[in-house]
Amino acid sequence: MSRRLPKFVLFLLILSLALVACGGQQVVEVTRVVTEVQTETVTEQVEVTRVVTEMETVTEEVEVEVTRVVEVEAAKAEPIVIGATGPLSAPGSVGGGIAMQFTAQLAVDEINAAGGIMGRPIELVFVDTQGLPERGTAVAERLIEEDGAVGIVGEYHSAVGLTMIEVCHERHIPCVFSETWNDNVTAAGYAEVFRVAVTSTLVASQQINWLDSLGLEYIVIIAENTDYGVPASEAQVSFMTERGIDSDVYFAELGTEDFLPVLTRIQGGERTPDAIMVLVTGETSYNVEQQMAEIGLAPTEETICVANQVAINAEFWDNVPDGNYCAYLRVGLTPSNYNDITQGVDDAYRAQFDRPAPSYALATYDSVYIMAEAIERAGSTDPDAIIAEIEATDRTLAQGRYYFPYGLNNPVPDDQPAWMWHQWPDAAVVMQQYFEVGQDPDDAAVVFPVAFQTHGTALIPFGTTP
Amino acid sequence: MDNMEPAQILLGTILWLLVWGILGGIRTPNVYRHKNLNPDGTRGLGILAGMLGGPILLLPLWYFTPVANSKMSAGISILLLIGLYKVFALYDPNNLCVTSFNYVMNQTANGLQIGFIYALMAVGLTLIYGIQGVISFAHGQHYMIGGFISFFFLKWMTETVGVPVNPLFGILVAGAGTALLGLLFEPLFLRPMHQGQIERPGEYAILVTFGLAFLLENTTLSIVGPFPQKAAGYLPGTGMVSLGPWMLGGFELGPLRLVADRLVAATASVVLIGALLFFLNRTWVGRALRAVSMDKQAASVAGVNPLRMNTLAFAIGTMLAGMSGAALVPIFSWVPWIGAEAAGRSFVIIVLGGLGSVPGALFGGLIIGLVEAMGTACFPDPTRGLAYKTAFGLVIFALMLLFRPTGLFGRKES
Repeated sequence: MSRRLPKFVLFLLILSLALVACGGQQVVEVTRVVTEVQTETVTEQVEVTRVVTEMETVTEEVEVEVTRVVEVEAAKAEPIVIGATGPLSAPGSVGGGIAMQFTAQLAVDEINAAGGIMGRPIELVFVDTQGLPERGTAVAERLIEEDGAVGIVGEYHSAVGLTMIEVCHERHIPCVFSETWNDNVTAAGYAEVFRVAVTSTLVASQQINWLDSLGLEYIVIIAENTDYGVPASEAQVSFMTERGIDSDVYFAELGTEDFLPVLTRIQGGERTPDAIMVLVTGETSYNVEQQMAEIGLAPTEETICVANQVAINAEFWDNVPDGNYCAYLRVGLTPSNYNDITQGVDDAYRAQFDRPAPSYALATYDSVYIMAEAIERAGSTDPDAIIAEIEATDRTLAQGRYYFPYGLNNPVPDDQPAWMWHQWPDAAVVMQQYFEVGQDPDDAAVVFPVAFQTHGTALIPFGTTP
Repeated sequence: MDNMEPAQILLGTILWLLVWGILGGIRTPNVYRHKNLNPDGTRGLGILAGMLGGPILLLPLWYFTPVANSKMSAGISILLLIGLYKVFALYDPNNLCVTSFNYVMNQTANGLQIGFIYALMAVGLTLIYGIQGVISFAHGQHYMIGGFISFFFLKWMTETVGVPVNPLFGILVAGAGTALLGLLFEPLFLRPMHQGQIERPGEYAILVTFGLAFLLENTTLSIVGPFPQKAAGYLPGTGMVSLGPWMLGGFELGPLRLVADRLVAATASVVLIGALLFFLNRTWVGRALRAVSMDKQAASVAGVNPLRMNTLAFAIGTMLAGMSGAALVPIFSWVPWIGAEAAGRSFVIIVLGGLGSVPGALFGGLIIGLVEAMGTACFPDPTRGLAYKTAFGLVIFALMLLFRPTGLFGRKES
């Protein structure tokens, strides 16, 4: 017994290792179990119908039971598989992936509860890309080939998205990306590729408009060495050069913890930067921002801290306790602009994670609906029909009204950038700035654009209160 | 020289180092053998002499064939470093590492601080290897768990008990927690290997510690979630501390400006490494551990139970990893996957220092800390310095494998 016990426990360990290593496969299996359970409930259809008959005098209860019958009818049919991707393990931004997985499943559950699409349930297969480009190709192939996905939604990392679009194009499968900012995701002009997130250029132009309005002359950018950070910093530098603003870009690998050597190098340089902009995501961004604050580099009276957009997340103050007066880009709506759908998703997200839903979580929720409703309208899983229906989308969801102004029927005109192809153009982008330690982002000042300013100023100077 | 372009200076230097280094490394041992002299250590000496002086040093070396020793190699290495610094100053005269001694001093201090913390973690790994002959692939995860134990202990004390405590106490609690993990894991999974119950112990040790790493990381992820956490600082609100200015002869070196929290963490690491060295060298149990690492059978004859020492070594190793994590949780944002990079760095450090050597791990940690800091701070292209940070350490690692495969303090297999 004593000789077998370690072997048995080792077996369990290796089994768990294999399950973990398979990542998305594990999720697939879980999803299928749920589907089987739904299918089993079909046997109860007669019973449910009988209950409807017996209770026909009680209007409200009848409605509830009828809904259940619809659900059961939907569950009876073969599910329609929608694939979704996001980083669920390192080196990807795991927090982002888990948020996207949650809202994607939330949307699928809602659609299935309402009877599915074309009378069939949706099966969501969410796979882990780890933020690695090579995984992007592999998981997209797998979703299409093995899981039979008729469309793919989600993805957080641009580097992954850029490899996935090639698969979407080659396999002719519609894909709606919800957080890949790299311009080239849609600039490639593939019929199959849509985006409901902002683009690097869109974001860069907004940030530069703000920084330019402040009359800054020299800006340092700290960017991650990825397909998000490199083009984003290039776009920033390009805009800065156009406006006559000097800039230097310092690259770092995603996952770097210690930024002190490079921050002290910037601090010891000949020119004191007017602003330091962080184009690094996830926990890495918090490390940069806290370290530059604690050595007195930024925010200071001389240097503005332009934190990464993840500064909006609830954990910002735990990780960057010295980050007061940092400004950041807010992608997505402010609570005053929430509609009922946004509020519903936000409530569910808060109940699960005890924090407000970030824009990419809302975008993933919306992308599932866009895909599902396009399939419903198309009346088939034919890719051409689905693509045509996604192009025709005109629907208000959690992030606002969705439409795609340029596509197969209306090519991008010469005076518009190539990335406007299949691009949702109305993503809300504002600059906010904290002015109290521990401040809720919803209370932070909106400093740009001028039309949305909440405190009548484009910058709250360091150490002051508006 | 003044008329040469910086790029030409750099290219010329690299070519010089390569050509004469390779020639010295190949020819020197052959010359010693040809004269019926002991060629041990002459390859490294030849490489260094070739790189420093080319034919000016190699020809006398081959003619006089002096006995190669570490003092000679060290002397040539120092001269080589000075020479390289001069070339660097010619290549990039505006670099802060050339123009500001205070900058160099501060970066050195930063590198040493982080190096001590690296060393604390690596010492645990090398201790496990030294006693058990096992590389623990779960070492990074013990480091991660130590950070989380400290974080949640501090949070609990603040929010539930209502008595905020300094993160230094978190280091102790994390040490106890991770030691307990080691005490549970080793008898269950590694002891059968030492009792001859496992057919292929080498592969088994890799698999079982690798499996443990996955288990710990994913269990932690499901418990604490993916969102980054960070403990309050050791000295909240202090930011930087300024020490000095210092005087060297009549020369003012300027103040040392250090991040207060890092200084405390590095000091705690030094104290813990000191305590470990005291334990290993001055206590009976510590000596017993060292005896087992040298010769298990002889230690058994002297009344030491090797199985218990294995368990103790593993527990101390995991404890040190956990304490290292706990020391850093007020400094870096903490996530369940943070251990992977730290573990990789520890492997580099212990190979650099010599597998199984505690002083080697200490010096290895300091070298990697220094090289990463100075490489990032001095790299000619400042915008790329940080992106190459890990590569700087790996270059040193590769050079060590080339010159001295057993590491700084490693023992040759008999």
